[in-house]
Amino acid sequence: MPDAAPSTPAEAQRSEPHGVGHIVPMPLLIGTGLALLVLTWVTIAVAGIDLGEANIWVALAIAVLKGTLVALIFMHLRWDRPFNGIIFVAALVFVTLFIALALTDTAEYQSDLHPGDAPAVESKLQELER
Amino acid sequence: MSTLTPEHPDLRTNYLTHSRGVLSWMFTLDHKRIGVMYLVSVLASFLLGGILALLVRTELIAPGETIMGQDAYNRTFTMHGAVMIFLVIIPSIPAALGNFILPIMLGAKDVAFPRLNLTSYWLWVIGAIFAVMSMVVGGVDTGWTFYAPYSTEAARVGVVYVTVGAFILGFSSIFTGLNFIVTIHRLRPPGMTWFRMPLFLWSLYATSIIQILATPVLGITLLLLIVERVFRVGIFDPALGGDPVLYQHFFWFYSHPAVYIMILPAMGIISELVSIHSHKHIFGYRFIAYSSIAIALFGFLVWGHHMFTSGQSALMNAIFSAITFSVSIPSAIKVFNWLATMYRGSISLNTPMLYALAFIFIFTIGGLTGMFLGTLATDIHLHDTYFVVAHFHYVMMGSALIAMIGGLHHWWPKITGKMYSESLGRLAWALVFVGFNVTFFTQFMLGSQGMPRRYHDYSDTIGNWLPEKTQLFHTYHFISSIGSYVMALGFFLILFYLLHSIFRGRRAPANPWGGRSLEWQCTSPPPHNNFDAPPAVGDCYDFSVLEWDEQEGGYKWREDAPHPGGQDS
Amino acid sequence: MTLLTTILGLLAAATEGPVGGGFWMPRQASTAADVVDSIFFFILWISVFFFVLIVALMVLFVIKYRRREGHESAKTATHNTALELTWTIIPLILVIIIFYVGLRGYVGMIQEPRNAYEVWVTGQRWSWTFEHDNGAVQTNVLTVPAGRPVKLKMTSTDVIHSFYIPDFRKKQDVVPGRYTYLWFEAPEPGQYQLFCAEYCGTQHSQMAGIIEVTAADEFDDVIAQKANWIDEYADEDLPRAGLRLYPRCQSCHTLDGSPLQGPSFRETHRLWGQKRIFADGSETVVDENYVRNSILNPGAQIVMNYPNVMPTFQGQLKEREIRALIEFIRKLDEVVDEQGGPRE
Repeated sequence: MPDAAPSTPAEAQRSEPHGVGHIVPMPLLIGTGLALLVLTWVTIAVAGIDLGEANIWVALAIAVLKGTLVALIFMHLRWDRPFNGIIFVAALVFVTLFIALALTDTAEYQSDLHPGDAPAVESKLQELER
Repeated sequence: MSTLTPEHPDLRTNYLTHSRGVLSWMFTLDHKRIGVMYLVSVLASFLLGGILALLVRTELIAPGETIMGQDAYNRTFTMHGAVMIFLVIIPSIPAALGNFILPIMLGAKDVAFPRLNLTSYWLWVIGAIFAVMSMVVGGVDTGWTFYAPYSTEAARVGVVYVTVGAFILGFSSIFTGLNFIVTIHRLRPPGMTWFRMPLFLWSLYATSIIQILATPVLGITLLLLIVERVFRVGIFDPALGGDPVLYQHFFWFYSHPAVYIMILPAMGIISELVSIHSHKHIFGYRFIAYSSIAIALFGFLVWGHHMFTSGQSALMNAIFSAITFSVSIPSAIKVFNWLATMYRGSISLNTPMLYALAFIFIFTIGGLTGMFLGTLATDIHLHDTYFVVAHFHYVMMGSALIAMIGGLHHWWPKITGKMYSESLGRLAWALVFVGFNVTFFTQFMLGSQGMPRRYHDYSDTIGNWLPEKTQLFHTYHFISSIGSYVMALGFFLILFYLLHSIFRGRRAPANPWGGRSLEWQCTSPPPHNNFDAPPAVGDCYDFSVLEWDEQEGGYKWREDAPHPGGQDS
Repeated sequence: MTLLTTILGLLAAATEGPVGGGFWMPRQASTAADVVDSIFFFILWISVFFFVLIVALMVLFVIKYRRREGHESAKTATHNTALELTWTIIPLILVIIIFYVGLRGYVGMIQEPRNAYEVWVTGQRWSWTFEHDNGAVQTNVLTVPAGRPVKLKMTSTDVIHSFYIPDFRKKQDVVPGRYTYLWFEAPEPGQYQLFCAEYCGTQHSQMAGIIEVTAADEFDDVIAQKANWIDEYADEDLPRAGLRLYPRCQSCHTLDGSPLQGPSFRETHRLWGQKRIFADGSETVVDENYVRNSILNPGAQIVMNYPNVMPTFQGQLKEREIRALIEFIRKLDEVVDEQGGPRE
């Protein structure tokens, strides 16, 4: 499939026959890396504060943000053709499908599990109590 | 631009003679050499897996202990499965044949990432070493499916070796898939639109999608298994609070698409074989191309059909059963299209075509018996019996492997520059075909009569076996084992005459069969860089431009047939 | 749908073997077998039809269109949308029917039966334990009444097993940490093979059992007798009776000295009459009272270095059974050898 005429400098650079394509500026890469480290630190810090139900949502939100940064900048999706982005989203769809179906199944047989904790878990809990 | 006309085969300057020495092979970046190394490795693994299979069948030929005890038997069938699936069937067509043929079929010099390609091969070797090493450290007896919590028990150290091996092999698979996708997207020659590609490439493309999407899940699953063993976390082991059925979800989410990794390239080969050897344009090109993609995508939605009796909820069972049937339709379309291709063709019954016909025969049975297993009511009875064993051998061995052997014979002249003995080819085919059906058709009855799988013995060594069951099972097992010996004979014969052809075979013309895809337009064997410039592309299934040349012993372009130009093709 | 049922019935009648089993299927020994077999043969005939069609066409074409002098391939159409749609849609309709039929049969097979006779089933490596409501405990042989639904409530103590009765066409995995259920109704008295159908280790193929279907009017007596089996043992034979009870302890207590979740009975046997030290530092003499307490109130005295995981058997063992276990441990050496195998 022949490429359309390049419409941005980035595209021009990319379609050059012997070129290396668009290069992400180093400051941006370093900045993103630092941002990820900061966000990791925030995740750990917030985990120490008791927000009840909100804890898991905060952690997930930060994780989504970090993942987005990785996908857009480290995985270069921000400057790639939309098709690549679609592929990435398709992969996420399959992951969601897998986890959703597996968890739906698990939920269905919760009532059939042995009452109480599993034996090894029991002994661990009792060890901790002592 | 230029199109290469078939020259007199030149055995002095081709990819085999281009450079010499072991290192020139070990560090080669030439996809053809990598393909050959894969081929040798995969066939060696097939020999190992085959010997394990013969040991299994010999043990089962009579009730009681025949040649080995329970533990030895359990390890044997486990390694047979692991070796055949991870070391043979999954890499065989994509890595061994695909690596060689794909770039040439595209008129390209090589794949998009040659170094990655070499890395794939060496990862395969490392993975294989780990897997085989498990046999030395006491063996693995969990079955190739490694179900938890049996596989997470401390005693089985071998499990770690095989799972690490499979993990590494997974990367080999992923990198190959990645390479093929990029190559097909980016390195097609001018004029080869998506719908001008040979169908073998469509099938490799669909396979590569599965390889990239599914294999990481296997990697993670096996990693979790190792984490569970080492750190006793409690993911799958209920004694630690885990869920054993969750392991099955994880495992089959990869392993079901994996079977489509095995069968899709095989179907691609059959499309090539049937059309070329019938000297007729493939029928229903678009449907076949779309069906490959459909199978690849739908294959991800059906993994639960391996778990109908596992404790999976009835709701999930119903959903998975329904979707499972939808996957069967694209395969049916292909079979009908192949038949329509043969209709009013001019069929050469040479060895590759014989394997294609065997494929259609065997795959029809394999696919139809899948329906019994996808149906909820019957699967309750048939799950974990020999019916399943028979079904998957019909589709994995009788179809995927048979197609691979057919493809091997089809492209053997191209790869080696030699022709094998056609009469021995037909004889071996007959042994394999008859032996295969005798071995595995009996197992359908064995299963429907209730014989469970993974059984070392079918008599009352310890008690509680009813003698009528033992008697019935013995009859079928005996016949099945005899069939396996016949089949083995056929495979050894193939090994013999193929090796023999390398040394004493007749020199092969560029186009012995009359194919029109680009690999037939370079010499046999191909030169080091395949083509000097990207060749021009026409309809690769239009064989009317070719005619038999008696002098060359092969096909060549007709004098009066125009070569495809740049714009009008 | 009655048309469908009629067709299924006709097909089944045309192909099923004698009551003692046919070519494809073993005998039909449960109420579900008929349904499963009908569906099986329905799919079989559709499969046979398509197989014959495809192979016949293939062979016909190979013969009729073989390559020979003067016969070139014809330039026919390279695709035909109407034709391709036809052989897409017809198979699609057929598989939808098969799916539906299979689903209906399945729903019937898993529906909770009313007035069922319930049995607790435990799978372990490598035997089956069956516990009846009246206290009877059976190993590997399950006695059930004929003509009445039987519901099994199953779990495993170690790895995944699977409860499979081919003649009943019923199978269900037995999973550790969870209860799974299977029911059947067997109209005819007789002995039916039970297999373990999920690989579980060395003796997987020897984990076979028998379902003993007993005529309904005899069943009550038979099962009452089984509940009171221990009464048949004289006092001096109680150690042997204890050995019969041992399978219920074996997943945590060995007989050869090796420790599992719990101390080996051999260790307890060796310490008989001597002091044993517990995790909380206290100690007591190993005697009849100690063993009795361990069975009924296991959490009170945990042996040093072992976890507190033993469930109580209060209400599950008769007094005479408890005595049998005490005698079994006390006289262990007379009943089993060093490796734990029975003597004589």
